[in-house]
Amino acid sequence: MMKTNRVEILIGMIATLLIGTGLLLYALQEPQRLVMAQAAQEQSDINDAMTLYAENCTICHGMAGEGIGSNPPLDNEGLRGTDDETLFKIISRGLFGTSMPAWNQEDGGPLSDYQVGQLVSLVQATDWQAVQDRVVNLGLVPRIPFAADPDPEVLALLAEMPGGETLSLGITVYAQECVACHGADGVGTALAPALNDPLVSEKTWEELERIIRSGVSGTLMASWENALEDEEIYAVLTLLTEWDQVPAGAIPAPDFGPIPVTAESLTLGESLFATSCSFCHGPEGQGTQRAPSLNVKGFLEDTNDQALQQIITLGVSDTSMPAWGDRLTEAEIQAIVGFIRAWEPDAPEVAEPARSGGGPWWQTEGNTAPGQGGQGGRGGQGNSGNAAGETAAATQTDNAPAGNGNNNGNGRGGAWWQQEGSQPPGQQQQNTTAQASEIVPAESPVAQAATNEAANAVAPDATQQALAMAEHTQQDGQGGPPEWAGQESGAASSEQSGHVEGEIPPFLLPDEQPLSWSERMDERAWLIVAAAIIIPIFLLVVGFLGMLRTGVFRRRSSVM
Amino acid sequence: MSRKITSHDPAAGFFRRLRNTLGPKGMPTDDRGRMRMVLDSMILHIHPAKVDVRTLRFSYTWGLGGLSALLVVMLMSTGVLLEMNYTPSPPQAYLDILNLRTNVWFGELIRNIHHWSANLLVVVSILHLLRVFFTGAYRPPRETNWIIGVVMLLLVLGANFTGYLLPWDQLAFWAITVGTSIVEYVPVVGSWLSNLLLGGPEVSANTLLNFYALHISIIPVSIVMLMSYHFWRVRKDGGLSVPKTTAELAAPEEETTRPERVTTIPHLVRVELIWAVTWIAVMLTVGMLVAAPLEGIANPDISPNPAKAPWYFMGLQELLLHFHPVIAAVLIPVLALGALALLPFYDISLGSVGVYFRSWRGRYLTLIATSLSLFVTPVWVLVDEFALHWTDWLPGWPTWISNGLLPLSLLLLGFYTLQAALRMIFKTNPEERILIGFTYLFVALIVLTIIGIFFRGEGMQLFWPWEIVPAH
Repeated sequence: MMKTNRVEILIGMIATLLIGTGLLLYALQEPQRLVMAQAAQEQSDINDAMTLYAENCTICHGMAGEGIGSNPPLDNEGLRGTDDETLFKIISRGLFGTSMPAWNQEDGGPLSDYQVGQLVSLVQATDWQAVQDRVVNLGLVPRIPFAADPDPEVLALLAEMPGGETLSLGITVYAQECVACHGADGVGTALAPALNDPLVSEKTWEELERIIRSGVSGTLMASWENALEDEEIYAVLTLLTEWDQVPAGAIPAPDFGPIPVTAESLTLGESLFATSCSFCHGPEGQGTQRAPSLNVKGFLEDTNDQALQQIITLGVSDTSMPAWGDRLTEAEIQAIVGFIRAWEPDAPEVAEPARSGGGPWWQTEGNTAPGQGGQGGRGGQGNSGNAAGETAAATQTDNAPAGNGNNNGNGRGGAWWQQEGSQPPGQQQQNTTAQASEIVPAESPVAQAATNEAANAVAPDATQQALAMAEHTQQDGQGGPPEWAGQESGAASSEQSGHVEGEIPPFLLPDEQPLSWSERMDERAWLIVAAAIIIPIFLLVVGFLGMLRTGVFRRRSSVM
Repeated sequence: MSRKITSHDPAAGFFRRLRNTLGPKGMPTDDRGRMRMVLDSMILHIHPAKVDVRTLRFSYTWGLGGLSALLVVMLMSTGVLLEMNYTPSPPQAYLDILNLRTNVWFGELIRNIHHWSANLLVVVSILHLLRVFFTGAYRPPRETNWIIGVVMLLLVLGANFTGYLLPWDQLAFWAITVGTSIVEYVPVVGSWLSNLLLGGPEVSANTLLNFYALHISIIPVSIVMLMSYHFWRVRKDGGLSVPKTTAELAAPEEETTRPERVTTIPHLVRVELIWAVTWIAVMLTVGMLVAAPLEGIANPDISPNPAKAPWYFMGLQELLLHFHPVIAAVLIPVLALGALALLPFYDISLGSVGVYFRSWRGRYLTLIATSLSLFVTPVWVLVDEFALHWTDWLPGWPTWISNGLLPLSLLLLGFYTLQAALRMIFKTNPEERILIGFTYLFVALIVLTIIGIFFRGEGMQLFWPWEIVPAH
């Protein structure tokens, strides 16, 4: 009894000691913990708020809080020092006389108190560069605030006219401040109505002046009272009422500088294009039946780098062009733009008829290289194919007879990145046609041998991408790639592809084949199955033997 | 002990008189004094002055009842502190929890202790029930206390469930949404009941207020009242059931020798104190080291996949995947709980109280029942998941029959066959059949719960635990 007693008392003392010291230690670090928890909470709030900002605020305040037009920058010391309550009220209720609307649900906006609070934290303490990254990654890059340069000839012309200075000042101001929303030559954009319009010039001077000075509540039109000098407002008003005197083209759409291109960005762009774009736009951007040609002079000349970047970032609604902004970073998208831009000097005048003639590129099996080598005879590429190509084609799907290439093929099953040259035959048949064009050059020197110089126009790039990928994913089963696979992009893109592969949009992936149960049975699974069988059996045996011991078979239990 | 000095005693000084009013003077030195102290004390007099020394054996009770009571006290004291920093209205509720974490001294610690104590209480209550079942202590004269105990277990689950919603994060919101959707399947009054509980058609601000009221007043008050009754009943029923060995059981009644009784102070009180201090230390340590989960603020527009109920209801949620909701969520639980609560009235054996698993035969039969259930339940889950398609096979039938009563009847038939087989082989008596049945069904519940918690992933499909992506 005494011994138990001691053990009990020891346990009790240890527990008491633990409570005492534990609480003491906890109390000592509690202030520290609170500070850390506050910091962590603020980070988490800001992190959430970045997405809210991207979705709701960028269009006026810019990607990085730099402000657009007359909408004020948020990235400033004054706001960072403003107290919670004031900022909360402004965001919740909006600011009268500005284009800042009310955001709180209680005031008819879309955001909850909680979200407004998070935005307050953002304004006070965020790293705006991180906000910009988030905006870009979400594909919510706003219309870039731009200013255009007015046509100098028109300005010169106007300067000679009586009263032309005012008009030319108006044009200059418009080109600086208004063109972003109201568009080149005042034709309007999705953001703001056309100004070069009888509906506007019919309005009275006072009415127009009031709009410019006070803004229009509930629209993006802000008050320009403080942003512009009186004479500038006067000049813009003059422009608005006398727009019919201004020749068309006086205020062009803004001209951006090209996106800077480096050797690295080209390599990156090339591999990204290969993994993300070529499936629909073709390996050389020549277009497929899924997406238009990019490698054509007209398109490249009409579309500047910013427009390309915006199209890639935001996608094109009502088409299958997805928004890549949430999958690729800005740098990656610019790299793709740079890569596409590099085609411009040699781009064909007319969209390359890759989809006519011998069928789309993904369907040309092993013959792609030699077939295209015969440039003039695209239609005949099936004939110039070699035996290996034919065989590969023969093993292909039922729905796409090899060689005639008229399959409008969904092609989904056969995204090229999926076949790394060493797939089991069964799988090859599951996939549709695309694979052979990659498999064959990757595996067989025959295709390489057939590649003549003229083929370079199309084939090497396609095969090269495939090889780069093959090299990346395929550890064995390939007797060394042909030497031209080892070109500079090979290593880079295989490095990249690991990163990029995961970002292939789901709709581009072949229909997912869920793993069968046998494939999902790894060691741990077998361990669980074994335990689920062995433990009950063990218990059963023990129980049964025990029952034998109690003499169950001899008599009915007397225990009752 | 000599005459009690009161505050009116002119002989004592001011401080002496004050001190004498506040508590007993000094510790008793003899057994008589110790017994007196128990009787005089408001707290201690829930105990008798003397207890049977055999009931003090730790390996008989495992201190589970006392631990439950301790946890209830801890939950109430931490709960009251939490309440002072909490507003039961939607956005603010979540902000208050964040505030506990970032601004309130010891806020996080208290919340953690409250959270983990609540979860532990569910486990300990169930273990307590198991202990009482397997020692046969629910038998007369303790049958009333058994029913009270079952009711209290339900209240504990209710307290846990209502408390689950209060942080108003995604986890809370969707677990409660899943959990309360079960109520709608109650025939006839289902939607009315759901409306009453939720204060509207879905989980909302009203639900939070309802659950808050239930959580901080109605359920705790009920628990405290039932707990007091439970304690009182223990004494009225003659204290704890007395542990026996199988040998004692087989021997003829030898109650002629008076059982050895020892004073409650110090024998019982000391153990209780040490047990309590130990568990307070454990819960404090857990609270300091392990943070209670908290996700982002509740968002009715974004439902996580999979949306799971709180862990103690995962067995039920698993059943819902196999049966028509009326069967899984209403019929089976009602039958099971009814059978559990009324256990003392159909298990009419009176012997073997105080012997774990009744006898040696009982011990082995428990093993056999456990092993069969461990084997049959997962197999049944797999078969039902992949091979049985009742609704496809019987297209014209109402689903509550084709996917409800029919498979349930088959399962019950299998259960009966099992009992019959064991009866044939081992000549089991009624007492042993009840033991086997309880063990079998309880293990099945545990297995279902484990499958629900660890083996159900996206879309509540079966996965290996490591394949499951966290809810998103």
